[in-house]
Amino acid sequence: MSMLWQEAMLEAFRETTMRMAHLLPKILALLTFLALGLAVGWLVKVFLLRVLRAFRFDALCERFGLGSSLAKAGTMQSASNLVGRLAFWVVFLLFAVMGIDALDLTATANMMNAIIGFLPHMLAALLLLFFGILLANFIAEATLIATVNAQIQEARTIATFIRWGVLIFTVAMVLTQLGIAKEIVVSAFSITFGGVVLSLAIAVGLGGQSIAKDVLEERFHRRKVEQDEMSHI
Amino acid sequence: MPSASVLVVNADAGSQDGTPELFKQAAGPEYPTAFVQHLTGGGLPRPISLHALSESGVPGREHAFRAFFTVAGALEVKACIVVDANVRSLTPDWMDILLRPVIEKGVDYVAPLFRRAKYEGSLTNCIIYPLSRALYGKRMRYQTGGGYGFSGKLSSLYLAANVWEGEAARYGIDSWLTTVAVAEGCEVSQGFLGTKICDATLTGIDLSVLLAQAVGAVFHMMETYQDVWEGKRGSTPVPQFGPPYEQGSEGGPVNVERMVKGFQQGLRDLLPIWEIILAPETLEGILSLGLAEAEEFRFPAALWVQTIYDFALAYHEKALHRDHLLKSLTPLYLGRTASFVLETREGSPDDVERVIETLCETFENMKPYLTQRWRFS
Repeated sequence: MSMLWQEAMLEAFRETTMRMAHLLPKILALLTFLALGLAVGWLVKVFLLRVLRAFRFDALCERFGLGSSLAKAGTMQSASNLVGRLAFWVVFLLFAVMGIDALDLTATANMMNAIIGFLPHMLAALLLLFFGILLANFIAEATLIATVNAQIQEARTIATFIRWGVLIFTVAMVLTQLGIAKEIVVSAFSITFGGVVLSLAIAVGLGGQSIAKDVLEERFHRRKVEQDEMSHI
Repeated sequence: MPSASVLVVNADAGSQDGTPELFKQAAGPEYPTAFVQHLTGGGLPRPISLHALSESGVPGREHAFRAFFTVAGALEVKACIVVDANVRSLTPDWMDILLRPVIEKGVDYVAPLFRRAKYEGSLTNCIIYPLSRALYGKRMRYQTGGGYGFSGKLSSLYLAANVWEGEAARYGIDSWLTTVAVAEGCEVSQGFLGTKICDATLTGIDLSVLLAQAVGAVFHMMETYQDVWEGKRGSTPVPQFGPPYEQGSEGGPVNVERMVKGFQQGLRDLLPIWEIILAPETLEGILSLGLAEAEEFRFPAALWVQTIYDFALAYHEKALHRDHLLKSLTPLYLGRTASFVLETREGSPDDVERVIETLCETFENMKPYLTQRWRFS
C-alpha cells in the first residue's frame, strides 16, 4: 500500500517537474520577448521621433491642420509623439505575439495567426485615417478661403460640410479596410451620401430655388461689376 | 540708331491667327525677322504645368521670354527690348525710351512706367512697390507688362537664374523680372511710356489668385535674396527716361462698401487662419477694425506694414500651406484698399501719390521688425 502511495507521489512529482521544466523555458522566452519588445519598441520610438523632428513633421501636420484636429479631439500630444507611441505599441505587440507563440499553447495558436493577419489591415486603416484627416482639413481650409474671398456668406457652413463629408468618407473606408460590418458600412454610407445629395437637390430645387437664383444672379452680376472696377495689378 | 544691326523676333506662343505673316508684313523688308514658336531639346522643363500653356496649348509667355533670351544670348546682343503682343498703345517713342538708356547710358534694365488712373494698380501700390522698395532699396514702381528694355548681360543673367522651373515659375515672369534685376545689383531704370492700352487678358482672373501670384513672387524672392535685402536700409531713386512722369485721371468709381464687407467677412471666418499667421499684437489691431462702419473704416499704415511683414514671416516659416496663406491675405488687402480709397477720395492724384510715399516710408522704417524676426525664424 505504502509502495503504491510512494510510486503515485513520485510519479506526480516527476510529471509536475517535467511539465515545469517544459514550461519554464517557455515562460522565460515570453518574459524575454516582452522585455525585448519594450526595449526595441522604445528604440524604434526614439529613432522615429528624431527622424520626424528632423523632417519637421509636426510643422507639416500644423500646416495641414492636423494639429488643430488633434487638439479638438482632446489630444494634447504632438503628431510625432503619437506616431512614436503607435510605433512603440506595434513593435511591443509583435514581440508579445512572438512570446505568446513561444508558449506553444493550442488555444492561442489561432489567435496569434489572426492578430498577425490583421496587422497589415490595421496599419493600412491607420494610414487611411491619417491621410483622410489631412485631406479633410486641407480641402476644408481651401474651401473656406475660396468662399470667403468670393464673399459667400455661408463660407463656414460650406467648409464644415466638406470637412465632415471627407471625414465620413474616410471613416467608411477605414471600417471597410478593417472588415468591421463591411456590408452595413457600405450600405449606411451609400444611404447617407445619397440621402444628403438628394435632400440638397430637393432643398435647392424647391425650398432654396430663389436663394439659388439670387446667388447665381449675384455671382454673374458681380463678375460684371468686377470687370468694371479698378485693375489691382 | 542707324548704325545698329537689328533683328526683330516674334516669340510666339503658337497662335493660329496668322501672326507670323502679319508680323513680317509689319516689320517690312528692311529688317531681318526671326520666329520662335517654343524651345525644344531640353530647353523646357518637363512636364510643363497647365498654367504655363497658352491658349494654343503650347508653352506660353514665360517660355516665349525664355526663347527670346536664348536667341539674344546666342547672338550676343548689346541690348534688346520686349513688347507685349496685347499692347495697343505702342508708339515709335517706346523703342527710344527702352533701348537708348541701355545702349548709351550703360543701363541694364528699363522697366515700364505708365500713366494710370487714381486707384489703378492698387495691389502694386499697397504691397508690391512699397515692400520691394523697402527690401531692395530702389524706388522702382514695379509696374509690369507692356514693354521692357534689357542689356545683353541681363538677358544672360535671366537665362542662368533659377526662376524658370520649380516654385518661382509658378508666379509668372512679370512678378520677378524687376526683382531679379534689382537684387542682382544691375543698373536699373524706368521709362515713362504714357498710357497703357492693352487687350484685357486678365479679365475674369480671381483677385485672390492674382494676389497670391504677385505677393508670392515677392515672398519667394525674399528667400532667394535674403543676403541682399537684410542689410539694406532706406531707398534711393532710380533714373527715369522718356517724358516726365504724369499722374493719371480720376478713374471710375470704386465699390468701397463691398471691399469693407469682404474684410469684415474675412475677420469673421478666417480668424483661426490669421491667428496662425499674424503676431498677437497685429491681430489685436486688426480685430479692433471690425467694429468700424464702412464710411469710418481706416486701416492704419503701420498696422498694414506689420500685417504684410507677418505674412512674409509666416511664408518663410511655412506656418501654413503657402497657397492658403497667400490667398487668406485677400480680405486684409481689400480692407487696406478700402481704407486707402476712403482716405484719398476727396484728394487729387498727387495726394494719392503722397499717401503711397508715406506708406513706402513706413515700410522702410519698420523694416527692423521684419529682419529681427526673420533671423530667428
